[in-house]
Parts: sequence; C-alpha cells; structure tokens
Amino acid sequence: MLKQPMIEVRNLYKSFGKLEVLRGVSLTVSRGEVVVIIGPSGSGKSTFLRCLNYLETPTSGQILLDGVEVDPKKNLRQVRQEMGMVFQNFNLFPHMKVLENVTLAPRKVLGIEPQEAERKARALLGKVGLADKADSFPDELSGGQRQRVAIARALAMEPQVMLFDEPTSALDPEMIGEVLDVMKQLAQEGRTMLVVTHEMGFAREVGDRVIFMDEGLIVEEGPPQEVFSHPKQARTQEFLSKIL
Amino acid sequence: MDFRWDLVWSSMPLLLEGTRLTVQLTAIAVFFGIIIGTVAGMTRLSRGPQRIVAAVYIDFIRGTPLLVQTFIVFYGIPGIIGRPIPAYWAAVLALSINSGAYVAEIVRAGIQSIDKGQTEAALSLGMTGSQIMRHIILPQAFLRIIPPLGNEFIALLKDSSLVSVIALEELVRKGQIIIGRTFRPFEVWLAVALIYLAMTFAVSRLVNFTEKRMKIHA
Repeated sequence: MLKQPMIEVRNLYKSFGKLEVLRGVSLTVSRGEVVVIIGPSGSGKSTFLRCLNYLETPTSGQILLDGVEVDPKKNLRQVRQEMGMVFQNFNLFPHMKVLENVTLAPRKVLGIEPQEAERKARALLGKVGLADKADSFPDELSGGQRQRVAIARALAMEPQVMLFDEPTSALDPEMIGEVLDVMKQLAQEGRTMLVVTHEMGFAREVGDRVIFMDEGLIVEEGPPQEVFSHPKQARTQEFLSKIL
Repeated sequence: MDFRWDLVWSSMPLLLEGTRLTVQLTAIAVFFGIIIGTVAGMTRLSRGPQRIVAAVYIDFIRGTPLLVQTFIVFYGIPGIIGRPIPAYWAAVLALSINSGAYVAEIVRAGIQSIDKGQTEAALSLGMTGSQIMRHIILPQAFLRIIPPLGNEFIALLKDSSLVSVIALEELVRKGQIIIGRTFRPFEVWLAVALIYLAMTFAVSRLVNFTEKRMKIHA
C-alpha cells in the first residue's frame, strides 16, 4: 500500500477579480519532504502557499491534509493548527514578550497549562538559539532573531507541516544565514516543509524537490540538481539565467 | 471699569463645587463611552445586519447637536416611558451615548490600523476570531487610540457644560448663579474658563504621559 501523502493539492484555481493568479495547480507532498517553490514575482507561489491554510480562499480545487479534505466550514482551524506558517514580515505580536508570542496559541488554542506551555516555549527558543531573549519584546530583536522567534512560535503548535512564505526576503543579507540554518535543521529532523524562497543555495542544498512556478502554473519540477543544472523548460532556463 | 480679582477668588468655592459635578459627569460618561464605543466600533466592523444598527447610531449622534440630544433624553423620553428622568441621569445618559458614538469611530479606526499580518499570523496558529480580537487586535488598537481618546475626553469635558440647560449645577450653571448675584460676568466667566483650562491641561498631560509609558513596544 502506498504511504499517504502529507499534502495533496488537486487542480487549485485562484482569481482576484478578473486576475487569475493560480490556474490549476496540482501537487503532492510526501511526509518529511522539503519542497522549495521558486519563480518570478507574480507567479502565484505565495498565493499558492496561502491557499493551503486558507489565508486566501481558493476559487476552486481541493486540498487534502493527511488524506482529509480541507473544508472551511468543518475543519479549518484544525487544519491551520497542523500547518505552521512563517511570514516574510515575521508578524510577531509586538505587544507581547517573545515568550508570550510563543506560548499564546498553545495556551489559548490547545488549552495547554501555562507552565507546560512555557517549558516547551523555552525549549523551542533554545532550539532556534534565542533562549536568552525570552523576556525581550520583538522590537528589541534584529530581523533574523524575529524570524527565528516566528519559527519557534509556529513550531509550538506542533504542526505536521511548516509553510515558509519568503522567510528571508525582508532580512538584511547578514541575517539570512541564521534563519536558513534553523530551517535546514528542521529539514534534517524530517519535517515536512513547503518553502517559497529566492534563496537558490538553500533550494539546492536542502530541497528534496524544486518547483518552478510561472503565471499561476507549475512549469517544471524535479530534484534540485536536475532543475538547476538541466532545466527542461525554456521559461525555467530564462528565469534561472537571470538569477544565478 | 476695574477688574475685580477678589471676585474671581471668592467665586472659587462655589465654582469648585460645580467642578466636582462636571468631573463626575465626565468620568462616568467616559467610562460608559468607552464600553459603548468599543462595542459599537466592533459591531460597525462586523458582518451582518447589526452593522447597520451601529452605523445608524454613530451617524445619528455625530450628525446632531449634543444640546438637542440632551433635550430628547430629558424632555422627550419621559413622555414615552411615562415618568420623568432625573436631570443627573439624563445628563449621564446623553453624555455617554454621545461620547460612545465618537469613541466608536476612534475604535474602528484603531482596529483598522492594525496590520493585516497580525490577524493572518493568529489565524495561521488556529486562533478563533474572538481570540484574535481580544488578545491581538484590541490590546494593540487601544495603545494606538490613546491620543485620539484623550482628545475626545477633553472635548467631552468641555461639552458637559451643555447639560447646564437641564438645570444641573455643574461648573457653567454655578457660574450663571454667581453672576445672578454679583452682576460681574467678566470675572466669573474668566474664573470658569480658567478652571476648564486647568482640567483640560491636566487631562492632556496625563494622556501624553500614558502614551509615552505604553508606546514603548508597539
């Protein structure tokens, strides 16, 4: 029997008014797989990621998480708990200390006792290298530190999948490495990850599969070596020649 | 004609009595104004028919004079409910309802000013709409609306003088009473003005101070 895919997306469409952003995207992600999505801006890659947890409502199509169809009327909050998301602009809660940022959702959504939530949060902050920042406020941290807190906050819900929406695009160059290192570590632990990024080094090194999107479609996909070294499609070649 | 400073000073005890009522009315109206305004402001932003009720309330109050609203409460409503409303409670009611509408618009603007990413992050963690409102949006919105709220309360403090028309002996009414005895309007109104100035100045200082203390992490 085949192993159940972690995520299965069937024929996803998304329009904003007359603008078709996604035009039939299908994708299967296995448990533990790291899928990196690349493509020019406006290709629909971020929208695709945001449709997975219904931050954008797809116009049509199906999304299955661990074999269960995502239905906004029935199981949306459960699905979101299973899909941690990391945003380009961190979106930390500025009025809360780092520790509270990480413990809030486990306490309020999962009903975990404050002490237990705090213990777990401190462990996660240690994991992302920020154990000493638990009592800081987000505005006292650098961009790279903020993004690592955001990763810890998402991990605190113990999601099955992690979604990264251009996690290093808002960072100063010298801070990109520390965030990518944390993500690399998560990948090595066998987490299922979908990463929209412009960091081709990361895609090549960490990705199990690279997906090239353009104009709302998956144009090409395959192992990083293949896509980067021998792109089959003209559009992939053109895109890679511009950025590599 | 000479200016009689002694009259300014000798009016003070009675004027300060009126000041007490002015402060009391304003404080109660501020309290209820915040509650009414928060509910109305959030309702205005909600989906569904209740949104229209909130919009009508806000537009009606902001589009009509407080003086007329006070008359409606004090002279109008008793005719419908069949018994008089004490002037004190009529004043509290009129000021609270009036303030609530202005606070509602401030709250609405405050909520809308919070970055959409905050809601998205909270949604992505599986939080419910009301959890997001309570733990994420409102705490940040309230920090941001401290300055406009302060302005609203200064306006309310001054506008509370209008309830003197229903014979409530707050600051302005006390001034009128003293003038009736002394026939020295300039000194008395100047004293009244100075008291208002002292109060509004104190409130604006307090708002500035609170803003500085709380704005550190926002």
